[in-house]
Amino acid sequence: MNKSEKVSSYQIILLLIIYRLVVAFSFMPAVNVSPGNQDIWIAVVLSIPYTILFCLPILFLSNKFNDYTLVEYMEIIFGKFLGKVIGLFYTFVFLIFTIAYVSILAEILDSTMYPSMPTIVTISIMLITCSYISFKGLEPIARGAEVFAPFILTVIFIFPMLGFNNLDFKVLLPILKDSTFIDLNKGAIEIALKFADVLILAMVTPNLEKKEKLNSIFIKSVFFGVLASNFVFIISLAALGIEQTKHSNFPFFTFARLINVYDFIQRIESIYVISWVTGNIGKTSGYLYFSTVSFAQILNKKNNSKYIIPLALVTLIISLIFKDRNSVIGVNEPLQRILLITILISIIIIPFIALIVYLLRRKKINVDVKE
Amino acid sequence: MKKKFILLISILLLITILTGCWGAQELNTLGIVSATGIDIEGDEIITTFEIIKLNPSLGSSRSDGSKNVRYIQTRGKTIFEALRNTTLVFDRRIYLSHNQVYILGEELAKKGLTPYFDFLQRDHECRETAYLLVSKGSKAYEIMGFSSGVEDLQGNYIRDMLKNNKFTSKSVPINITEYFKNYYDAGIQPVVGVIQKKEKKYEKNMEMKNKDKSILSVEGAAVFNREKLVGYLNGEETRGYNYVRNKVKDGIIEFPTPSIDISKNTLLKIGSNVNNISNLDIKEFTVVEIIKSITKNKVEIEDGKIILKINVKTKGMLGEEQSNIDVSKDEVIKTLEEACSKEIKKQIEKALLKAQKEYKIDIFGFGNLFYRKYPKDWKKIKDNWNDIFSEVEFRVDVKTDIIRTGITNIPSDSLKGE
Repeated sequence: MNKSEKVSSYQIILLLIIYRLVVAFSFMPAVNVSPGNQDIWIAVVLSIPYTILFCLPILFLSNKFNDYTLVEYMEIIFGKFLGKVIGLFYTFVFLIFTIAYVSILAEILDSTMYPSMPTIVTISIMLITCSYISFKGLEPIARGAEVFAPFILTVIFIFPMLGFNNLDFKVLLPILKDSTFIDLNKGAIEIALKFADVLILAMVTPNLEKKEKLNSIFIKSVFFGVLASNFVFIISLAALGIEQTKHSNFPFFTFARLINVYDFIQRIESIYVISWVTGNIGKTSGYLYFSTVSFAQILNKKNNSKYIIPLALVTLIISLIFKDRNSVIGVNEPLQRILLITILISIIIIPFIALIVYLLRRKKINVDVKE
Repeated sequence: MKKKFILLISILLLITILTGCWGAQELNTLGIVSATGIDIEGDEIITTFEIIKLNPSLGSSRSDGSKNVRYIQTRGKTIFEALRNTTLVFDRRIYLSHNQVYILGEELAKKGLTPYFDFLQRDHECRETAYLLVSKGSKAYEIMGFSSGVEDLQGNYIRDMLKNNKFTSKSVPINITEYFKNYYDAGIQPVVGVIQKKEKKYEKNMEMKNKDKSILSVEGAAVFNREKLVGYLNGEETRGYNYVRNKVKDGIIEFPTPSIDISKNTLLKIGSNVNNISNLDIKEFTVVEIIKSITKNKVEIEDGKIILKINVKTKGMLGEEQSNIDVSKDEVIKTLEEACSKEIKKQIEKALLKAQKEYKIDIFGFGNLFYRKYPKDWKKIKDNWNDIFSEVEFRVDVKTDIIRTGITNIPSDSLKGE
C-alpha cells in the first residue's frame, strides 16, 4: 500500500456507512436478535454505545499510531515475531470476511435473480471486478464510495416513498412494553459484535488526509451507518410485519417486490439488486484489498498488488467449497459463528491485550517509534 | 502496443460473457401463467394453470372465438411437484412470475392453507403481490377457464374485478404478503377474497347475446381461523368489514330514503298533483357515493369490561335519489346523512356480529389494538382472545356528511315549482 495515497474523511465515512448498510440491505441479520419483537429497532440504536465500547482499544491504538496500519503497530507493540503472527491472523481475518461477503452475495444472486447460473461463474465475475478495483488502489476505492453511496442511499430512500401504501408503522407499537432492559441490551451487544468495519478504519488511518479526525470519522460512520440501516430495517418491519420479516431471508428485497405505483412503476426490484451488488462489490473489494495490504506488510513488501490475484484465487476456491456445501444465509451456522469468533478475537481480545501491553511498555515503544 | 493488445483480448473475452444471463429463459420456452388454481383431493394436490398462448400473428383472440390461453392440470404430493409435473404433459416450463391470482379450492382452504403455501413464499418466481381467492362452494378448477369479462385472460379478469373493489367495497383484494401478515399476528385472523360462479338471471335476449350461462363474482370474503377456512361474509358484511378495517376509500351506500316531513320537503312529481302525495314509498332508495371515509377504532376497558369503539367519518356525494324529496334543503340533507350513517352502522354491526357470534374470531384486528393499549393485560388474554372477542360489547358511531349533490339538485322526476 502506498502511504502517499490520501483519502478524505468524507470518503471514508461514506465507505464505512455503505459497508454497514450493505449488510442490513441484504440479509438483515439484526432482525433475528433479542428481543425479537417490535422493539428490535431500539436494540439497533442501542448498539451504538456498545460498538464504540468494543472498538475503543483499536481506536485508541490507531490514534496513538496514526502513521501505521493495524498490522504495523501490532508488530511495534508485540515485537517482531508475535507481531508477524498477529499480522498473519489479521490477513486471515480480512480474507475470512472477503470469503463471507463473496459467499453471501453469491447466495443472494443465486436465490433471487440467477438461479441457473453456476456459483463458480457468479463468484468469478464478482472476484474479477473486485480484483480490478483492488489493483487500482485505495484512492479509487474511496472515490468509488462517493459515486456509489449516493446511488445506494437514493434507492433506500426512494423505494419506501414508492411503496408507502404497503407500510403500516403501527406494527412498531407498543414501544418498550414487551422488552426488558436485559433483552434490549443483549440484542444491542449482539448487533455491536457484528461490526467489523473498524478494522478497515484501522488499516486506512495512515492514509487519512486528517488523521486527527479519526474519532470523529468513526463516530459519524457508526451513527449514520446505524441510522441508515435502521431506516431499512423499520421499512421492512412496517411492510412485512415482525414475523414475516423474520421469516424472510431478504426482507428489503421482498418489500421492493411489493412496490406498485398505479400499475405504472412495478417490478423495480432489479434496480434494488443493482445497488445491492454495487454495495457488496465495494465491500468485498475493500476487504480483499486490505487482506493483500496486511499480507504484504507482514512480508515487509511495499507493493501489495501482486498478492491480489493469489488471494482472490484462495477466496474463489474456499467460497466455492463453502458455498456449494452450505446455505450461508438461510442456515446461520457455521458462518455466523465463525464471523462472531473472528470479530471477538480481532476487534476485542487482541486489541485489548495490545492496549495493555502498550500501556505497560509505552516508554520503550514510544522511543522505538521515534527512532 | 502490448497494453492495447491485452485490452483488446480482454474486451473480446468480455464479449463472450456479456451476451446475456446464464440460463436465460426465452419467451418461446416459457409457459407464462396468469392464474393458478390449487385443489386437494385426498392427499394429492391438483394444480390448474391458465397459460398465455403467445402467438402474435393471431391477435388478442382468434376469429373462431377460442381464446389465446391453455389450461393445464397436474397432480402431485406438493404444489412444487405438481407444478414440475406439467413438463410431462406440456411443452413449456411453467413460469409463475406473472401469475395474478391463486384460486384455492374450498376443500383445501378448509384443510388449512399454510402447509401448502410454503412454496409460494419460498420460490423467487412467485410474486407476493398475487391475490388469493377461495372458490366458494366449488373446486378451483371448476372456476378456472371461465371468464365473462372483456379480458381473455382469466387472471387479468379476476385481478381487475378485485381492483374494482373500490367502487363497491364488497370484496377484499388480499395478496400473499397481507395474508401472512395477518396469519402471523395473534391479534387478527386472516380474511381473503372469494370467487364464485353464479347463474345469470338475464332475460332471453341477453342470454343469447352472451353465450355464457354463468358469471363469476368476487363479492364477499372468506374468513379464516389461522390457516383454516371457517366461513364467508356476504357483500354487505364485507363492506362492513372493510369499514372497520378502514379500507373503504370509495364506493357507494344505498339505503331506503327516510320518511321526512312531507308537506315541507316533498316535491310535486311530474304528472301528479298535490292530492296524490301521501306517504313516501319505502321501496325508494337513496345512494350516497363515498368520497372519503376514515375509521378510527379503539379498545377500552370500562368498569373491567372490554369495549370496542368504532368511529366512522364519511364524506359523500348524493349519487342517486329515487324519491321526490327536496334535496336542496339543508334539513333534508341532514336527514339523508343520518339515514346513510344508520345504514353504514347496520352493515358494520352485521359484520361484527357475524364474526363474534357465528365464527367467534377477531378478523378486524381489535386484538392488536388491545395489545397496543394494554400490553400487560394482553399477555394474560392473548391465548383466548377470540373467545373474549366473541363476548365483548361494541359501540359503532358513524357520521356522514353529504358535501355535494352532483350536477343537479332535486330528483329528475320532480318539479321544483316556484
